Amino acid sequence: MDESDEDYVATNNGKAVVSDRDSSEDFSDSDSSILGDGVSKRTRSRGRSSGRQTRGGPMQSNLKGNSGGYSWEDEYQRTWDIVKDDDDGVGSLQTLVQTLIESRKKKIMKNPSTPFQRGIIRTMIVIIDGSEVMLERDLRPTRFSMMLSLLQEFILEFFDQNPISQMGIVMMRNGIAIRISDVSGSPQYHIDKIRQLKTKQHNRFEPKGDPSLQNSLELARSLLMYNFNNKVNDTQNSKEILIIFGALFTSDPGNIHKTIDNLVKDDIKIKIIGLAAQVAICEEIVRRTNSSKTSSSYINTNYGVIMNESHFKELLMDCVIPLPVSEDFEKKEKKGVPLIKMGFPSKIQPSVTSNSSINLNLPSICSCHPDEENDASHSKEAGEAGNGTYSSKKVIGYKCPQCLNKVCQLPTICPICGLMLILSTHLARSYHHLVPLEAYKEVPTMEEYESTYCYGCLLKFPSGRKNAQSDDANKIESLTSSRYRCGKCQQDFCIDCDVFIHETLHNCPGCENK
Amino acid sequence: MDAVSETIITDQKPTQPTVDDPSLLTVILDLTPHGWFKIKHHITVQEVTKALLVFLNAHLSLNNSNQVAFIVCSPDGAKFLYPNPGKNFDGIQDNGSSKGETGNKSSNPNLVNTEMYRQFRIVDEAVLEELNEVLKSLSKSNSVNKTRSTLSGALSLALTYTNRMLNLDQSISTTTASAFNATTKSTSGTSNVTSSGSSASAVSTNYTSMLSRILVISANDDDDVKYIPIMNSMFAAQKMRLPIDVAKLGSISSSYLQQASDATNGIYLQVEKPEGLIQTLCTAFFIESSIRPLIILPSNSNVSYRASCFITGKSVDLGYVCSVCLCIMSIIPTDAKCPTCNSHFDKSILNQLQNSVVLSTKRRKIDSNGRDTPPV
Ligand SMILES: [Zn+2]
Ligand SMILES: [Zn+2]
Ligand SMILES: [Zn+2]
Ligand SMILES: [Zn+2]
Ligand SMILES: [Zn+2]
Repeated sequence: MDESDEDYVATNNGKAVVSDRDSSEDFSDSDSSILGDGVSKRTRSRGRSSGRQTRGGPMQSNLKGNSGGYSWEDEYQRTWDIVKDDDDGVGSLQTLVQTLIESRKKKIMKNPSTPFQRGIIRTMIVIIDGSEVMLERDLRPTRFSMMLSLLQEFILEFFDQNPISQMGIVMMRNGIAIRISDVSGSPQYHIDKIRQLKTKQHNRFEPKGDPSLQNSLELARSLLMYNFNNKVNDTQNSKEILIIFGALFTSDPGNIHKTIDNLVKDDIKIKIIGLAAQVAICEEIVRRTNSSKTSSSYINTNYGVIMNESHFKELLMDCVIPLPVSEDFEKKEKKGVPLIKMGFPSKIQPSVTSNSSINLNLPSICSCHPDEENDASHSKEAGEAGNGTYSSKKVIGYKCPQCLNKVCQLPTICPICGLMLILSTHLARSYHHLVPLEAYKEVPTMEEYESTYCYGCLLKFPSGRKNAQSDDANKIESLTSSRYRCGKCQQDFCIDCDVFIHETLHNCPGCENK
Repeated sequence: MDAVSETIITDQKPTQPTVDDPSLLTVILDLTPHGWFKIKHHITVQEVTKALLVFLNAHLSLNNSNQVAFIVCSPDGAKFLYPNPGKNFDGIQDNGSSKGETGNKSSNPNLVNTEMYRQFRIVDEAVLEELNEVLKSLSKSNSVNKTRSTLSGALSLALTYTNRMLNLDQSISTTTASAFNATTKSTSGTSNVTSSGSSASAVSTNYTSMLSRILVISANDDDDVKYIPIMNSMFAAQKMRLPIDVAKLGSISSSYLQQASDATNGIYLQVEKPEGLIQTLCTAFFIESSIRPLIILPSNSNVSYRASCFITGKSVDLGYVCSVCLCIMSIIPTDAKCPTCNSHFDKSILNQLQNSVVLSTKRRKIDSNGRDTPPV
């Protein structure tokens, strides 16, 4: 920042209002010229004339009168018709765009304060389709690679929201089921495995052949059941399978209905995301494994067929949210839920660097992998990427607070004293479910507002209506206040802070300072 | 696991040392009086502020479009000292028109030498002026909640502000006109990045060109903080790939700040003898996050991942966890009910836990599971 800038700021400030007008006029003018060149020339000119006519009168009715036969055009173009590109339309286009954007953001924002009470410890097997149809290019670049990249995001999000849950990945390929990754609570492990699937050369897992739902379901079921018996708290777990199914058929060795019977018996919940169209057997799987007592909407929530890429992502991310507590669980609750004893170990890292990319490889022995040989073969199998993470993990250790023994990976059960060890941050990741932040309410438009700046980011709010001239009563400026108020601390926030606070931060800065 | 998520973060962002990216430095100064009282023989708030101002000026001088923000948190709440759009703005304008002349601000005495480089002066003046006011009101306020920490509020403010600065370039999706105006005026340096085409970097702006980090200076020894909000801020920072550096003054380490810096790949330094704070700041904390992988930094080797008990608020390393809501308890509640989600705990399990025998039985169970066939 130098002297010349200083002058600029000073003058700009002196005539703040004027320059504001200028710039916004430029903006709207250029925009309308773009419009003029484009398709909707006719509409625009009509809009302009109507804008002139309707000064002071109710705009909407006049617009309707003006637009002749094309009723289907009407609704679509109304937003543009409102824009008056004459001289006193200062900032109106900007405000309009802003209103549209803000309302869209509001809509995108998930409702954060849904009731929770969920069995949070989940075990999920993701079955992915690796059959030939996954080479279709209706998703870019192919169905398969699109699925894998979305899956990576899903894994991160899943472990973010379900900190002490576990996941395993199974692939349907060439008529058989292949275990891609074991049931584990480490997102990095799964992501490494997914990366391997994506490699171009020497890929053993390129999509091929037919899918087999039965084989993969049986494998997933056995994975789930095996892992279940190992866990301390098996009453609380929810067993889930998520199938991403690209094909429209399944080639099974036996009777899949028997498999479904077993799944129902084992109380495993299945969700399916179809990439092409609905398949009857999928519908049946979903219907039978999700308790039929609930309302008829189960098909919609548990079996979805994607419409486009973003819908795919949406469906996938829906699976991140823990299942609501089932009725069976409510019954169990009368008996009482288990209380788990857990240890929160300290991290010990006998290296002198702060990041794990520079390893000094100080030798350290952990009690969870006493068999070095075994471990080495494991990491060999995991390939190069896996190897790197395995060796780097060795440097960092965690000390069991009960027996002071060292383990190398969390969460785990201490092999010496049987205590469940977990990073407290794992648990804390889900705490915002516990104390959901109340949604902010939009401040109604007023003549004058108490707040000038966003409390969170110091963004300047647009000023109230009183600054506008009297004949601008219908100005779009008054459509939105751009302020969103926390009901508890009465602080106003801008839309970006609102979205950020409710989706990422989960703290209200105002309430924290009260 | 947190080491794991760090690896993920570094994986996604290729380490290309982009040299000229502007950087936002947010300093959070914890003014909780109790902690400062304890180290009063070593250093005062005044000296720390001096050191911080030098640090801020140094940061500003690195790159023309570098940004700073300064937040204090006291028992009265957290507050932005800089930028301060309402107040600061007028002050700058006064100074701007009277540049070269002697600073003739009638309202307040000259806290900073008027000959100083303008950008430094704006920041320094704003910080000092506001800080005086905060301290004044702090000394006036009643002593009921003198130990209350509002660090979580300060972190939240820092994050919302950083979020805005990071997303500013996509300003078509934010509050358009006002975003431009506000930044041009309030944080005068920002405008270089986004609106005006004056600086070279503005031509080739891409969305995530802004680097950012948070530095927390705290002397607060109380572990009695708001656990959940701090954790929430920590995860938000982690998601934004925003390192939280911590300079903890005094001899007692703060477990939560340690966790925060560890999880966000930041630097945690325990400054037991804070007399030479300026040196510590300008060495360890001066390094931009983009070049951190290349430099051997003070290590954060032993992090205590203690949790906070939901009932007593004390930190625990061995506790009980409700399996429905995952809240942590250091003691088994007497009414056998979860304090957070109100679910009743299983009586038999409670009995088991209350007996000391529980350890041996549990171990046997695990052993048989691990080595033999799992029981049906
Ligand atoms: Zn190990
Ligand atoms: Zn142990
Ligand atoms: Zn804001
Ligand atoms: Zn609030
Ligand atoms: Zn609970």
